[in-house]
Amino acid sequence: MLKSPRHSLRRTSKLKLALGSVLLLLVAAIYALYAWTASPAETIELGQAQTVQTTKPLVCAHTLLENEVEEWKIQRTLELVREMGATAIVQFFPWAYFEPEAGQFRWRQADLIVRHAKNQGLRIIARLGLVPEWARQAGDGSNSSASTDTTLNFLPEAAFADFAAFSARLAARYQEAIQHFIVWNEPNLSFEWGYRQVDPAAYARLLQATYPALKEANPRALVLAGALAPTNEALDSGGSLKEILYLRELYQHGAAPYFDALAVHSYGGTEPPDAAPAAERLNFRRLELQRQIMLEYGDAAKPVFITESGWNDHARWTGAVRPAQRLQYTIDAFEYARKHWSWVQQLCIWAFRFPAPVYGYPDNFTLVSPAFDKKPIYHALQDYARGWDASAARWLPPPEGT
Amino acid sequence: MKMRARLALTLVLLLIAGASLFLYAARLSRPPDIATAFPRGFIVVGVDASLPPFAIDDGEAVSGLDIDLARAIAQSLELPIRFVNISYYGLFDALISAEVDLLVSALRVEAARADDLRYTRHYFDNGLILVRHSAEASASLDDLPDNLQGQKVAFELGSQADARLRQLEDQHGPVTRLPYELPSYALDALRLGQADAAIVDATALRLYQRRFPDWRSEAQYLTRDPYAIAVRRDNREAWQLVDAALATLKENGELARIIAKWL
Repeated sequence: MLKSPRHSLRRTSKLKLALGSVLLLLVAAIYALYAWTASPAETIELGQAQTVQTTKPLVCAHTLLENEVEEWKIQRTLELVREMGATAIVQFFPWAYFEPEAGQFRWRQADLIVRHAKNQGLRIIARLGLVPEWARQAGDGSNSSASTDTTLNFLPEAAFADFAAFSARLAARYQEAIQHFIVWNEPNLSFEWGYRQVDPAAYARLLQATYPALKEANPRALVLAGALAPTNEALDSGGSLKEILYLRELYQHGAAPYFDALAVHSYGGTEPPDAAPAAERLNFRRLELQRQIMLEYGDAAKPVFITESGWNDHARWTGAVRPAQRLQYTIDAFEYARKHWSWVQQLCIWAFRFPAPVYGYPDNFTLVSPAFDKKPIYHALQDYARGWDASAARWLPPPEGT
Repeated sequence: MKMRARLALTLVLLLIAGASLFLYAARLSRPPDIATAFPRGFIVVGVDASLPPFAIDDGEAVSGLDIDLARAIAQSLELPIRFVNISYYGLFDALISAEVDLLVSALRVEAARADDLRYTRHYFDNGLILVRHSAEASASLDDLPDNLQGQKVAFELGSQADARLRQLEDQHGPVTRLPYELPSYALDALRLGQADAAIVDATALRLYQRRFPDWRSEAQYLTRDPYAIAVRRDNREAWQLVDAALATLKENGELARIIAKWL
């Protein structure tokens, strides 16, 4: 039987209507699911506000929560930091995550981190860096995408004001929770300076741009400079520069008025924490060489924050020590700093926990596994910070008769 | 007519799918070709020769358990062999870029690398071992953790053994912890009667037993940590050949002999 064109048209319209309804329902369901999973208030209970119990306020850990997807993991990480007896965290607040388009802000991840850290009673030392694509093109002079040739650590001078403006916005938003700001990370390494020759004068200008913006946004803000990487690289070695030379140049370029404290990275390498500092050795006390420069330039009143430190115990890495040494050296380092360095305000272990394993030696810098298993060094630090174990020696002497 | 056309199309598609499956199965069942697997005509093995007794470079040559194992595999495949000493973190890139054919270097099996490489069956298990005096050994592995409660247990401070002991304590109750700087000291404590048990990895235990061959102990695995040979994922033929050679070495006792020589 032949069907009329009108009949066929009606059937097509009905089909379209049904299809449209199904699509609408699907979109609504997806949106409902998104709204349900995206709303922090609906997923995690904040719980009672906590206070850190500690006998060693120097203890601090560097967290990596900027890439943590699930909120409960942010909360659990910060609970463990607090339970360990640490008073503070260093936490990266990547500009590129929070202002992906100029003037368009997405604060959700930062809000979650700050909300939970505050609830655990932890001080936040905010590390600022990582440049969004739009800012990497600043001053390029062309419409071509300069960002295709640059890394996320590339900050053109024309974008210094944008960086300062973002820093100020972040400082204003979290002025009750964050008082400490590290301007950039390891600017004495070529990699961290966008794979360019490092430039202490330019970094001094970055400090000069950012310091007043932060202070205006939050008059209580403490601006930390540096976080220089310990390295023995000379100027002609490929773009990086020994941190001692870099800091001296920073002072010579007039950076002193634009920071309130110095952030320092101080890894132990394969040496014990009391090993003497020397310009050619990478060890824990090497930071004393930077302190000496501060004194030379009349900056004795400024405190130092060790924002990355620690030892590694990976069996296949040449820069590692044995597990027992890692544990003992770490505790000894805190004691050394406490007894000898009154100018050090925090000593932060790199790193508290990775969101996922990296399957390599960096995994053996952490205190807690991605699955939240506390490593023996976590327990040792907890015993130390909470005052549960005051013994100096962590291990027994070799059994007699061996 | 329409129905017939559809039926014919379905049949054709089924035939194509069947033929593809058959060809794939035939390819899988085809005996691997040595020349395809190792086109250089010899095997190039990547090794990190900084981990005795698995591999060490004395300046003139490399030696160790992994070296002997790789040589035994090459011998069974009747191919010459060359070693390239690469730092641990360069090994995987060297394999992926085909600079080397195999990695024989005390490699843990890591599922995260499965996109790039295949592992053979394991040739050594460096898992954690609970060690006790021979006379005190438990009847089964299940009994061991309960039996530790209240006992003196020696271990290397900060190590995996330390972490595992904490887990056992959480599950079964506290022990008297005897932390030492080195696993060999933990075993000393057990041998000298200052500890009831020790937890160490298999390598530490076997090296210790070589030093004290008359000491009698019972050992049972608490965890598994298998070591295997790695082959580039797209070189399935090499993987088949090496895995088969390893199976033969296991069966004929040659692998056990190599392990006993070094551990």
